[in-house]
Parts: sequence; structure tokens; C-alpha cells
Amino acid sequence: MTPPRPGRDRGLVRPYVVTEGRAHPTRNTVDLVTLVMAVRNRPLSGLNPEKRRVMELCGGGALSVAEVAAHLSLAVSVTKVLLCDLIDSGHLTARPPVPKAQRPDAQLLQEVLHGLRSRF
Amino acid sequence: MTQHIPGAVFWCLAIVTCVALLLLIRQYRITAALRRRLRLGEADLLAREEEMRHLAETRLPALLEASRDAGTPSVPGPLDADLLATTYGKSLQRVVDQLSSVGEDARLRADKSAKATLKAAMRALQALASEQQLSISEMQGRHDNPDVLQDLLEVDHANAQFGRRAQAVAVLCGSWPGRQRAASPLLDVVRGATSRIRDYRRIKVHSRVDMDVVSRAVEPVVLAVAELLDNATRHSQPNTTVEVSIQPAHNGVSIVVDDAGIGLDAREIDEAARRLSGRENIDIHRLGDPPQFGFAVIGVLAARYGFSVSVDTQSPYGGVRAVLFLPNALLNRVRFMGPPIPLQGAEVPPASSSLSFVEPRTEGAGGPAARTSTAAEAAARPGPSEEPSPFPEAGAAEPSTAQVLPRRRRRTPLHQEPGDPADPARSGPPLVRPAAETASRMGAFARGTRSGRDASVDNERNADQ
Repeated sequence: MTPPRPGRDRGLVRPYVVTEGRAHPTRNTVDLVTLVMAVRNRPLSGLNPEKRRVMELCGGGALSVAEVAAHLSLAVSVTKVLLCDLIDSGHLTARPPVPKAQRPDAQLLQEVLHGLRSRF
Repeated sequence: MTQHIPGAVFWCLAIVTCVALLLLIRQYRITAALRRRLRLGEADLLAREEEMRHLAETRLPALLEASRDAGTPSVPGPLDADLLATTYGKSLQRVVDQLSSVGEDARLRADKSAKATLKAAMRALQALASEQQLSISEMQGRHDNPDVLQDLLEVDHANAQFGRRAQAVAVLCGSWPGRQRAASPLLDVVRGATSRIRDYRRIKVHSRVDMDVVSRAVEPVVLAVAELLDNATRHSQPNTTVEVSIQPAHNGVSIVVDDAGIGLDAREIDEAARRLSGRENIDIHRLGDPPQFGFAVIGVLAARYGFSVSVDTQSPYGGVRAVLFLPNALLNRVRFMGPPIPLQGAEVPPASSSLSFVEPRTEGAGGPAARTSTAAEAAARPGPSEEPSPFPEAGAAEPSTAQVLPRRRRRTPLHQEPGDPADPARSGPPLVRPAAETASRMGAFARGTRSGRDASVDNERNADQ
């Protein structure tokens, strides 16, 4: 759904350059739905462009790992390496995903359905 | 009568003797002249023989040697310069000239056919490498196991180098670099080049420039920088780093590659400058064994795309400083970012083009006052609130950076939801994330359709949407 960012060619910078050759994230607690948030006022010096982009993306609130990966146009496993680095350096905080919502009330759904039917 | 006979005889004899003497003298002179001519002739013949021997034993082998090895044939001249004026000398010279032109023709033909063959072969390899890169990328996305990813990264790295080699040879043989890419930030171009060399971990890139390289120049510049980086890493100790800095200039940008390697001597610098100029016709047979493609490839690309490369300065680290100068014609949207990275505190937008479509909108969103208010709103937001820092302070502490920086753009859509979601006329700061923007537009569209269809607006249900 998200169009590729203009001026960004996927095949140009290869993932091993992005992660400096590492494939193992420093922690194994991060999965697809882990939410990461940027810690404010951390210096961005020494971060590579992808990490800066992560900080930029996560500056607005929590994002899931999968979302970050999609925005960066990187593989999820590569993104995990980056995110773990950023968590280690204190740029990001991770938290487990939001718990599943309560099962919706069947009665309410029924009402919504009726409402929609009567409208259209 | 008889006493006259001896007198007559005497006179006769005297006359005969005189005549004989005269004849003898003439004969002697003729003989001397003949002898002289004979001697001269013999000397001439000897000289010609010598000349012919010189031709067969020295000049022609030298000619062959010259056509085989060096660029400019240095055939020794004739032994006897006087001979050159004669028909014989001219004929000999013609023989040499014709042989040399035949040799040159044969060489050109061989070069051409070798190049055509190599080009075709390398194009096929290049296509395979690209295909393989695609499938490696897919695999990287598909496998979540770090061990698998590690292997894939290694395969990817080897494949990238393989692709670059094939590409370099193809370019040298007159092919085009082979990939059409979107205009890319200079930093990505340099990192792309870093991706294609063996010791990519030793490359340190410092960029002060945020500019895009135009689409048609991306791949050639990537290839040229990759060759420079490859030279730099190959000719320096494995424990040293290679520093790349991207520096703005008046009418372009320089990519400076410094290594701490062994450097070049004067002869090598001359040779390199000759190849890098791209003016000389590259003969793939003369690139040495193993062939030194690097500078020749860069020269070809530089001449074709209009950038320039020099390696004639010494690096402050003791090795070579290679400078690739990109003129403005090959660059887009010149923006100078100021100092590379502030030492502490401030956040700097990434040196990529992501800024390009963010920055103007952020400026339109308001000054520090607006920032502080949005920050305060965010602090009061009921959402995930583990961020420890007090936002108003942050906004007040760094008004200057806050003005420049695009921050917390996602806050607005999140914030709209609890407020009054059904108000389509509300115009908050524009969204940055295309997904969110698309969603909100589709929502607005749906709402518009609905309100158009139904004249009586039911606020209660709209609020649910």
C-alpha cells in the first residue's frame, strides 16, 4: 500500500552494509509485533541513515517492528538487528504488543449490521 | 735509302710507344676508376646486406614486440641514414610501415572481437547476478532465522562483488553500466559502492552534503566509486580504515577517498592519470596479467558521463587520495546541510532524500509555539506513554532545532481520532506517512459519499466511523 519512497532504490545499499555484516540481533525478545518508541533527545551522531530514519519514524509514537521494516524497505530480520542496536544504545524503547482487544459484543455487532443495512 | 730505314723504324717505334704509353695510362685510369667503383659497390652492397640483416633481426622483431606490448611502437631506425634517401631505403621503410599497419589492423580487429565476445559473456553474467540478487533479497525477506540470514548476507555480498566485476568488464568493452536506477542520495550512492567491494566494513563515510545524483549517473558513479574503494582497500593494510568524505564544491561535489596504503609512485601516477582521462583507447590485451581493470573502467565511465577522477595527491594517511568530482549537471537539488553531525543534543535529519518531501510541510506547520502546544497535547495523550522526557521542556530547550526538525508527525492522526473524528473540514498539519494520509483521505471520501447519499445526517452513527 505504501508507495516506495522517492529517491530510494532498494537494491542499491545492500543489507549487509546496513547491519555491518551482522545478522544476529543482540536480543531475541523482539518480534514482528513488538512496539518500539524513540527516546527523546538522544544524540543521533554516529547513526547510519537507516537508524536515523528509524528514529524519525518512531519519533511520532510506537511503531511495530513490521511497520518499521516496511517503511525502511528492509527485510524484517535485518530491521531487527538495527532496532536491537538502537534499543541497546538507548535510542529506542521496546514494549510488548498491545494485548488483544476484548471480544466484541455480538449484540453490538448485530446493531451495527442493522444500522448499515438500513443506511445503504 | 737503306740508311733511312732505321730512322723510319725508330720513329715508328717511338710513335707506337707513345701511343701504347697513352693507352696504358688511359687503361690504368679506367682500371682505377673501375676498381674504385667496385669498391664502392661492394661497400654499398655490404651496407645493404647489413641493413637487411638489421631489418630482419632487429627492426621487425621490435615492431612485433611493440605491437604486442607497449602502446606506442618504438621501432629502431635504419643503420645507415644515407640509405634512407635511396630507393632501396625507401622500399625498406615501406615494408616496415606496411607491416606495422597490418599489425595494427590485426590488433584492432582482435581487440574488437575480443571485446564483443567479452561484452556478450559479461552481459549474460550481469543479468544472472541481478536475477540472483533479486532472489536473495526475496529470501532475506522470507527467512526470519538469523543463521539463515547470516548465510544469505554472505551470499549476497559475494553476488554483489561478482556483479560488479562482470559490470566493470562489460563497461570496459563498450557496454553501458546496465541498470537504470532512480535518482539517489549521494550517501546512498557511496554506500551502494561500498556494498560491492570485499572489505566493506573498513569503509567509513562522512557526508556533509545532501544531494541526489541524477538517475542516469547513479550506476556509473556507483561503479566508479566502487572501483576506487576496491583499489583503496586492496592496497592498504586490513586493519586500516578507508575514509570517504563527500564535500560540496562550487560547481559540484567531490567524493574523496583516502586510504592509508602503499601509495603510488610517479610512474604509476602517470599511468593512472592516462587511464583515468578516458581519452586513450583501452586495449584489453594490455591491462596486464591479472588485468588491472579499475582505472581503465573509471576512465571510460568518466569520459562517457562527464565526471572526473584524479589520484595524483597523497592522502594525509600516507596512501592515495582519490577524488571523484561530480559536476552539478549530474546532481539534483543542491542543499548544503551544514556541519556533518552535531556533537551532542540536536537531532539532525538523516542524510537521505527522505527529507525532501517532509521539510517544506514542517516549516509550514508553525513555529516553536505551535510545536510546544502539540508537544503538550502529546504528553496528555492517553496512548502509549512510556516516553519519560517532559515535552514542553524539550520544545523550550531547543527551539532552533525544533524549528528545523520534522518531529512527531504521526501525532496528528492519532490525535484526531479521540477528538472529533467526523469533522472532515479540520485541517491539521499535513500527514507525512503516505499510508496514514491515504487512509484519512479514503475516510473523508467515504464520509463525503455517505453524507451526499443521505440528506439527513445521523451524527451518532458518523461518530462511530
